[in-house]
Amino acid sequence: MDPTDPPAPKSLLARLKARFNKPKSDTTRSRLRRVLIIEERLSKWLPYIKFLLFTVGFLWVLALPLAELGKETYIDENALSPGHIRPQFAWADVHSADRWLDQLEKLRDSNATSEKRAEFISDEFRKLGLLGATQKYTLTLVNETRSGVNAYAVSPSPRISGTEAMVISASWIGRKGEGNGDLNLRGVAILLALAKYLKGSSSWAKDLVFVVSDGYLDGMQAWLNAYHGTEQKNLKVESLPHPSGVIWNALSIDYACHSFSHLGIFHEGVNGRLPNQDLINSFERLSRWTGGVPVVMYDHLGSQLEPPVYPSWIPKFIRQNKRFESYWQHGRNTVRHIGYQARGRPSGIHGLFHRHRIDAFTMYAICAQGPHGFYAMGRVVEATLTAMNNLLERLHASFFFYLLTGPYTFLKISSYLPSPVLISVAMMIQGLTTWSQAGWVLDVSGKTAITGPAASKWITRRRDVLPVAMTMFFTHVWGLALFAIVSTSWYIKNIQQAVSLPVFVLFASLPLSILAITRKQSPGEAPVGLVLKALNVCFASPIISITSVLNFSLALSFAMLLGIPLSISAWSRRLPVRIASYSIYALLALGWVLFLPEETKTALWHWEIASAWFAPVVCVVYAPLVLQAGIATLLTR
Amino acid sequence: MVLLPRLYLALIVLGASIPCRAGLSEYFNEKLTLTPLRDGKVASTFSFSTLLKGGSPRDPSQLGEDDESQHYTLFPLGLGQILREYGVAELHLSLNAGKWNYDRWGYPLEPGVGTGAELWAWLGDGGVRSVDDRWKGLRSALAGLFCSSLSRLDEHRTTSPAETFKPEGSLPETSHHQLRHASLPSENVCTENLTPFLKLLPCKGLSGIATLLNPHKLFDANWHGLGVHVLWHKDEGVEVRLTFQGIFDPLRSAYVRKQDWSFESLFARKIEKACPVANSSEILVTLPQTGEYSISPEPTSIRNSMAVYDTKLVQKPLNLAMSWPHDFDHLAASSTREPLTSLSLQRTLRESSQLDGHLTVSLTNHKDTSTDVLYLETMPWIVQFYLHTLVATVEGRVKVDAVSNISYIPAIPHSRPTTFQAVLSIPPNSTLQLTMDVSKAFLRYTEHPPDAQRGWDLPPAIIMPLDDKLNSPRLYTPNILVDLATPDFSMPYNVIIFTCTVISFIFGSIFNLMTRKFVIVQMDPKESK
Repeated sequence: MDPTDPPAPKSLLARLKARFNKPKSDTTRSRLRRVLIIEERLSKWLPYIKFLLFTVGFLWVLALPLAELGKETYIDENALSPGHIRPQFAWADVHSADRWLDQLEKLRDSNATSEKRAEFISDEFRKLGLLGATQKYTLTLVNETRSGVNAYAVSPSPRISGTEAMVISASWIGRKGEGNGDLNLRGVAILLALAKYLKGSSSWAKDLVFVVSDGYLDGMQAWLNAYHGTEQKNLKVESLPHPSGVIWNALSIDYACHSFSHLGIFHEGVNGRLPNQDLINSFERLSRWTGGVPVVMYDHLGSQLEPPVYPSWIPKFIRQNKRFESYWQHGRNTVRHIGYQARGRPSGIHGLFHRHRIDAFTMYAICAQGPHGFYAMGRVVEATLTAMNNLLERLHASFFFYLLTGPYTFLKISSYLPSPVLISVAMMIQGLTTWSQAGWVLDVSGKTAITGPAASKWITRRRDVLPVAMTMFFTHVWGLALFAIVSTSWYIKNIQQAVSLPVFVLFASLPLSILAITRKQSPGEAPVGLVLKALNVCFASPIISITSVLNFSLALSFAMLLGIPLSISAWSRRLPVRIASYSIYALLALGWVLFLPEETKTALWHWEIASAWFAPVVCVVYAPLVLQAGIATLLTR
Repeated sequence: MVLLPRLYLALIVLGASIPCRAGLSEYFNEKLTLTPLRDGKVASTFSFSTLLKGGSPRDPSQLGEDDESQHYTLFPLGLGQILREYGVAELHLSLNAGKWNYDRWGYPLEPGVGTGAELWAWLGDGGVRSVDDRWKGLRSALAGLFCSSLSRLDEHRTTSPAETFKPEGSLPETSHHQLRHASLPSENVCTENLTPFLKLLPCKGLSGIATLLNPHKLFDANWHGLGVHVLWHKDEGVEVRLTFQGIFDPLRSAYVRKQDWSFESLFARKIEKACPVANSSEILVTLPQTGEYSISPEPTSIRNSMAVYDTKLVQKPLNLAMSWPHDFDHLAASSTREPLTSLSLQRTLRESSQLDGHLTVSLTNHKDTSTDVLYLETMPWIVQFYLHTLVATVEGRVKVDAVSNISYIPAIPHSRPTTFQAVLSIPPNSTLQLTMDVSKAFLRYTEHPPDAQRGWDLPPAIIMPLDDKLNSPRLYTPNILVDLATPDFSMPYNVIIFTCTVISFIFGSIFNLMTRKFVIVQMDPKESK
């Protein structure tokens, strides 16, 4: 306190008066003084704040599977009323499923063509009095052409106007091993049995649409495109003769083995879209309590049935902790989820529905010796359909943004979003610091140390934005070129052979040409490397924070991969170090060309069939950003 | 027990002997038509018609004056009073549930089969009360009489497509008449509508064919709907026809193999006694042309390959039944035969976003000659047409001359619906596809219904073949559900608070910048320490 101030008055009122009756002329000055103090302290603490944000951000990622951060799932939409549902699916229907399974197995053993299979299924639908039909499609990919035939049937429910519909689907090939799995024969058989049984009720408020799609993803994509009139250049589809209403909800059945012990939830859609959480919650409740089948995430059985394999570096006392077991289980689910969502890859055929604003998920029967079979599956599907049927409106009450860490625990958006956002904020601070470092330099030449910092002088430098922005722009164009090459049939065909190395070398080395064309800088100019680093980090930061609300997992992966590397670029002036670090950046940006050929192929396949954005985003956004950091490192002299 | 009908009759005779309205005589006829359909279902049409011999609609110019007294014996008084109060010349009301499948079920006996409620009336002009004023009153009165939400058929839904809804009876020549038509696709029909309907019948649901109107069974039928039709025949009088149509499915359960049906299985009732005041009371059963079947009891007579039963003559209780010796074959029924109607209809709305959509109407002509149809859309204003995008294609090729005589009354937002009418010519054995872009309205937040996230039901389009025949049947396309941009009603205060904060923040900073005076303040560097 200033000693010239009058002594503090005793009464509170007088003190308040003194506070408000300060001389007016002083306010502006004192406010400015306050601002200056805050600014100075902030700039002094900035590196620590940045470090703190990075640390908290990364720790938060590790904390995601913690039970303390999660919440128990609950049903938000009252109309679903899962507690009132009593499924009537009976043993007689199990018998009809068994008969159909026999016929389907015969078809499989006789190597029946798609056409014959679809013809058989649609005839079975029509024998039940449903409006059955088949649909041919041809998918033209860069290196192959696939064609197939879907079978489907509309069961026009009595007494309703037919403006709404629900879809029950089963793909011919199951999702085991992501589409290279067994035939989903039991899924198709139970679907037929359900079609027979469900049409007998007059209380459906929506039409029932049964779809047996050919192939794994391709058939369902063709059917959905035809149903919604969506044009897709590489997919020729036949139109559907029996239209039905607006689809709000859909479920798909994946049941390949003889018996199952648990049902797994698969819910990720193309480009990371998720169905409304109420749908999954009601399925979980109905399966667990009404159908008597325990529910797990994906095909991850609980730790009692599937003893977790911990890495050996985790100390024993942690490994034996009961809470760590649940952390590990949740962590596994989270990593699996991020794997699907970040890559924009649908975790089953349900993922293709989300684009059309349809909430859908797959119930996956986990192979086991028992105890469940057609009976339990039929009852669970019927109960879940009844819950969907109870809806008067689209699902809207519950969450669309969530992270299911377990079948009945989840993270709300506020509990998971901060992790990438904190990292992106730290990057923004780093970028702005670099920007001011590039523009201002402390001139201490000719001054002695005694005069101290007050005597030193800040000199402004000219920051040339245009060449830097052009460099950034060209790296992104370069990324586009990379994507164009990678998605050619020539590349995909020769991906295992010697093609990837030349492509890597070409794309990693061309940005080096920037070195040749950079001119000598005048002393009044800011170093190009520093400006590039500033803009690069400032550009990457909003990309992460904006992506975090569109596709959390992708944003998180970006934050993990870009956060530190982009912030520490341009740190050394020695040429060998610079070149070495550039090659590390190049590996980080384009290493997948060399080391992940299968991954690349799958990502491209999903781009072609379902417009999953992952492949172009990696080529056009991610790789150029890392290359820019590499160039910034190279340019630092 | 024997005494009761006689007492009833005596009362009626007593009632008829009271001097009333120049002694108009009344006739009541009832008829039930049952048709086994080829997909195994059974179509039933109840028709109860009361004729007020010599009666005529009220002259609209006398609406302000006291009306002559109304004494009816058979004619429904509740309806008669409404008709005279609003000077209605002709009236048609239908309340339906389900989707009529023309391909499999053919033309219905009563053409008004659009899903939901539909009301149309011809009203004379030129009195103290305007047509629109009386139309409003008529809607509300009928809403009260039939316990349905007909008062929601307001000016947002009222149109006047006189070409499609021509009068089925005659209109008095004393004044000019106007049509008012409105449909409410989301209206349901249930027991609360049937009870007042039965009250309008002279024998209620106690005897005669009306015994079979058992709500538990009727409202479980795949398609069901009731209709009220009031017509004036110039030389005969005013006719009120009450109808109930239903499509029953004896094969609904997957474990039933035969398409057998009986009164007991369809309606869970039998006809115990005839309606004593009915002039005629007939049950007609369409007999299948092929295959083996048996029908019991023996019909009274056979007419045009229809078995006719006179409820007064047949032995009671009457439990009419048909049975087949063989199991029903769905596959053969669905794959081998042509559609029953010469036209097949499809209408879809593809919604690319919350603001736009693409309306497609497909009409397939199964005949060997080309056919002209009148196509009518009465769309609420929430869906607006881009008429310049209207394209007609036949088998994938654009056909410019397929659409002619377009008449279009555009919608007025928040008040008037669109009326779009055009003549389409469909070549023989081909499909005409009409496509048009539409824009979807952005509603005021108070205009959303309570179940906002469901979307809006759009009324059926109406197709009328323009054949040489008079009174060609109207065909109704299925309804459409349209999604409009809907706010998140679950947390309006969050939205309001968030929006207000953003706006005040933007306004505050701009206002601050505009009113602030910028000066240079010299600060001693030591001061900031």
